[in-house]
Amino acid sequence: MGQVRQPRRVQARDGELGAAVARAQDGDEAAFTVAYRIVQPGLLGYLRGIVGDDAEDVASDAWLEIARDFGRFQGDGAGFRGWTATIARHRALDHLRRQRVRPRAGGTEQDVLDLPGPHSTHEQALESLSTERALELVRGLPRDQAEAVLLRVVIGLDGPAAARVLDKRPGAVRTAGHRGLKRLARQLGIGSEVDEGMTDVTDEDSRTLGKSR
Amino acid sequence: MNDNSGPAGRADMGERLSGDGVPGRHHAQPGGAVSDSWDVRDVATLETALAAAIRQADLDPQAERRAVAAFRAARAANPHRARTRRRDDWRVPEERRARRPVKTTFGVVVASLALGGVAVAAIDSVSSRSDRTGGDQGAARPSAAAPDRPGDAATSTSSGGSRPTGRPAPARDTEAHCRAYKQVQGHGRTLDAKAWQRLVAAAGGEDEVAAYCSEQLRRATAAPGKSAGTGKSGKGAAGTGNGTSDSKSGGTDKAADKGRASGQGGGKHS
Repeated sequence: MGQVRQPRRVQARDGELGAAVARAQDGDEAAFTVAYRIVQPGLLGYLRGIVGDDAEDVASDAWLEIARDFGRFQGDGAGFRGWTATIARHRALDHLRRQRVRPRAGGTEQDVLDLPGPHSTHEQALESLSTERALELVRGLPRDQAEAVLLRVVIGLDGPAAARVLDKRPGAVRTAGHRGLKRLARQLGIGSEVDEGMTDVTDEDSRTLGKSR
Repeated sequence: MNDNSGPAGRADMGERLSGDGVPGRHHAQPGGAVSDSWDVRDVATLETALAAAIRQADLDPQAERRAVAAFRAARAANPHRARTRRRDDWRVPEERRARRPVKTTFGVVVASLALGGVAVAAIDSVSSRSDRTGGDQGAARPSAAAPDRPGDAATSTSSGGSRPTGRPAPARDTEAHCRAYKQVQGHGRTLDAKAWQRLVAAAGGEDEVAAYCSEQLRRATAAPGKSAGTGKSGKGAAGTGNGTSDSKSGGTDKAADKGRASGQGGGKHS
């Protein structure tokens, strides 16, 4: 319990990804394309959860840097996910810094979003979960929770890798991810019991963290 | 999943809806413990649904072309593999160990012992021996270590015996620092400040230290084996044999190796 496990199909391609990265580092352009196609869906999803509609632009910037520093990278497929996520995250944070004039709405709509969806079962709630709705919910989370959930669930990083990307302790990231998922579950009308006091503390924490970053 | 969680879910919903709009009121646990209804399968289902909804399946072909073009341009501009900085090194075992505070602390202790050993060895070989009278004077400089003198052979990090010309002392210092750096798993700042500064200076920047060191150590371990047949001394150099200045027993190469080996053990355990 409390483990944020990656979807199996994301992990399953790590071997393929690692092989593609290795071949690309020997100069194989087609292999680089393969790596791109494996990594980009998660990367873009992560970025959409952080910077919203600007995700494509930020991803483009990130890939320029990934391509430039590609020869420096060392590691396997899972490592490549972490490395590219770190680069994408830095580009996203730069982007957010540049447009600080209009900060994101995260955290202000909790009361609205906390209302359970109009579904009567878990399955209905999840089957009909649209991209927009999912992103809206994730973006409503405190930043640390949103990032922990996105890195682990959407990009497919394990705990230590997510912690390295976020430059935080694995325990803190695990907790944030767990709280984020619980909150999402509640908003979707599943796993309804949530400790309100705990959630409040988390919000406070994440705001402080967000400021210091 | 459908058998159990459906009805259970409905029961949860009923409870929620019959409440007064304060979700979670019934199960509030200040300790943050997770309530029973938070099923592991619910988590898995939720994760799968989130991943499916948020991962972007439709990729823009133009964005892909730009990325590949950038890759091509980067290869053309710099066909050789660039240095791996710490942030580019995602190899697993090092990373895992680096994140464990206890092991890091242990590594710091080992590293400081190793560095201390280098300092003691240097003091021993330079000052105390030059104070002595007699024929030892000529061999005062560690880099001039003679092959048949175990004490000196032990002080030099590299295989001084097999390669009299050797690398200059600073190179061996760097090598020692790099070994220490490796011991603390790349957390260079935990090294003795001076050693770290020197290492940064030698590498040309903090980010470059990891790459610089792996290059140094690769060269250091590769060179002795190639240059001479005395594989033993090369082996000794490859270990953490820096804190072994006092192994002066014996007069043959074998004894020197022994002394080094025991000194090595002592350095690790003390």
